[in-house]
Amino acid sequence: MFKPHVTAGVIALALAAPATVLAQTNQQLEDIQKQIQDLKGSYDSRIQALEKQLKEAQDTAAKAQSAATQAESAAGQAKQSAESAAQATGLKPPASPSAFNPALSLILMGGYYNSDQDPRTRVVTGFLGSDEYGLPNRGFDLGETEIQISANIDHYFYGQATFSIEDGTISAEEAFFQTTAIGHGFTVKGGRFFSSIGYFNSVHNHAWDFQDPALVQKAFLGDNFGLDGVQVSWIAPLSAVYLEIGGEGGKPVEFPFPDSFNNKNGFQVGTVFAHLGGDIGASSSYRFGAWGLTAENGVTDQLIPALDFTGFSNTATGGSDNLWGLDFVYKWAPNGDPSYQNFKFVAEWMHRSLNTSLTYAPGTAQTQSGSFDASQSGWYVQGVYQFHPYWRVGLRYDQMNEGSYDLGTGLAGAPGLAPPDFTPRRWSAMIDWSPSEFSRFRLQFQQDKSQQGLTDNQVFLQYIFSLGTHGAHKF
Amino acid sequence: MKTFLSLLGLTALLTWTGPAMSAVNIFACHPEWGALANEIGGDRVSVYTATTALQDPHKIQARPSLIARARVADLVFCTGAELEVGWLPVVIGQSGNNKISVGKPGNLEAANYVPLQEVPALLDRSMGDVHPRGNPHIQWGPQNIQLVANELAKRLDYIDPAGRAYYDSRLASFTQRWTQATKRWEQEAAPLKGVAVIEHHKELTYLFDWLGMPVVGSLEPKPGVEPTASHLTELVEQQKGNPAKLIVITTQKDPEPAEWLSGQIKVKEIALPATVGGTPGAKDLFSMYDDAISRLLAAEKPKS
Repeated sequence: MFKPHVTAGVIALALAAPATVLAQTNQQLEDIQKQIQDLKGSYDSRIQALEKQLKEAQDTAAKAQSAATQAESAAGQAKQSAESAAQATGLKPPASPSAFNPALSLILMGGYYNSDQDPRTRVVTGFLGSDEYGLPNRGFDLGETEIQISANIDHYFYGQATFSIEDGTISAEEAFFQTTAIGHGFTVKGGRFFSSIGYFNSVHNHAWDFQDPALVQKAFLGDNFGLDGVQVSWIAPLSAVYLEIGGEGGKPVEFPFPDSFNNKNGFQVGTVFAHLGGDIGASSSYRFGAWGLTAENGVTDQLIPALDFTGFSNTATGGSDNLWGLDFVYKWAPNGDPSYQNFKFVAEWMHRSLNTSLTYAPGTAQTQSGSFDASQSGWYVQGVYQFHPYWRVGLRYDQMNEGSYDLGTGLAGAPGLAPPDFTPRRWSAMIDWSPSEFSRFRLQFQQDKSQQGLTDNQVFLQYIFSLGTHGAHKF
Repeated sequence: MKTFLSLLGLTALLTWTGPAMSAVNIFACHPEWGALANEIGGDRVSVYTATTALQDPHKIQARPSLIARARVADLVFCTGAELEVGWLPVVIGQSGNNKISVGKPGNLEAANYVPLQEVPALLDRSMGDVHPRGNPHIQWGPQNIQLVANELAKRLDYIDPAGRAYYDSRLASFTQRWTQATKRWEQEAAPLKGVAVIEHHKELTYLFDWLGMPVVGSLEPKPGVEPTASHLTELVEQQKGNPAKLIVITTQKDPEPAEWLSGQIKVKEIALPATVGGTPGAKDLFSMYDDAISRLLAAEKPKS
């Protein structure tokens, strides 16, 4: 049997145990709560401290960043001002002694010529003998190589020379100085230079629109009429329109006959010229020219090849050549931008009055001598259309007018001494491809009816390359 | 006596340089410099601009009207850096005007006062029409315009000392307005940062650099060489790996290559003014930048 007091004791203990446990749990709970409070408090303060540190760090960072930005912009400005200071004082990398070297360029030209007739015997009836007509050799031909050198000489002068190298000979096509500092519209040029008469006369062959010069140019002035002498030109201060007036004087390089050496003091040739030019709207520009030339013929007993057509020998002595002419060039490009499309039209007309003392030897009949005055003219028109950045096509028509001969009494009745009943003509068509401003290939077809009695169909294929620094071309 | 008098009269007529005008004659090579000359010079200058925004500045010829204008110029105001080498030396050399030769106060080459970008490391014609001193199309960098304006004011002070106060005040006013406008443009153009573009020629380089727009390709295979079919095909290929978001040309260029490429790679093609006057909105330097940036922003917006 259970003893009741044990049971009661057990029950009491059982009842009291939870209380104890409860009491103990309460105590623990309190302890835990206190610990949590402590922890919370500690974490709180730590978090606060961290937040404070973080804020301080952020503030510092922000300050640092704004300082950096300011420093950056200041550095940028300093860099710019340093650079502009360097620019202004010209502090560039040290220049070598060759910095003063002139602009130097090389022009390579050559091609292929194909013709029905023998170029060595071709003439322009009444105007040019075969040597003077100067057609290329058949087949492949190097043609001419050109070297051009130019630079400012000093604060007063500019200098330029163009050397032509052909078939083993080198000659100075042009070698001249020009003033840069006179002002008031005046420029003086001295030395050897192409005359400013006409339009194409002063243009070097590598800048021509066709492989060869116009017939009238060739007949009256040669490829380019040049002189050793001086040129004075003046541009009017009109600003709205271009008006240039000038004159030249000196000794012709090779004119009017191949061997014109004249042992005489003073001037042998004089020219006057005037140019008027301007714009029409934004797309068109033009230039009119008018000119005159007078040259003493310094030869004695020199053959006039142009009179070869008579079949009789002749020699000329003394006299003069008087020429005058008109030229017109017109250029068009949409909105003035020639990059994709442009058009150029040129027309020239020239008149020559050749006066000399002629000795005429028909052979069968007696030799006659007297004054001989030939009055002749010629003209051409050409149009070149660029239809693509690289491609141009051109058409040209040449015509010469045999004119009239005025014979002195000594030559009266001279057989055959009359202008040929013939009109020299020529049609030319060309297409050229220029992938840059420095290279060009040209194909040209020409029907040449400038010699009485035959038609000469000619084909030219030509290349033109320029290397180095080449000065800009004129209008 | 009559002949002598008429000759005298003729000589007087020919050498008369006009009434004693206070206007400084400025021959500006390009419209951006004409516009800047008007900003700084105001009423004291008479500006002639030799070219328009529709003309390729590399292809200008030394035509008679330019020589006639240079003849009476007090100041020739051009870019330099060989941009005008194809015509300006002839114009100056033929003008008979000794005030405007290179090195004289009457000859101002803007590129001398601006740090040029893209200075070539190697110079050879096989690389195309490369400018030896660097990219000369400087009018699209706002800092460049300010630098040139500063130098222009100095030149005008030198050439026309009586107008010194006037030029200085106009420069101050311009500087203030230009600085404000530059800040505004930079804010407005923020969405354009990082927008990759294909250009035609390198004439907008300074604009893209300023606005942070990377140039990933050029319609020209080499500078100064017209776009070729093979090169355009290369750009179509390139779009896969290195895509552009815009094709940007100028109103001076033939739009055909850009339009073709745009159709191929399904990328918008727009034309900006090359300079002042290139679009109806580009009336002066400020509106030129406004117009360019608004066109770029309009093109960059995603299609709605």
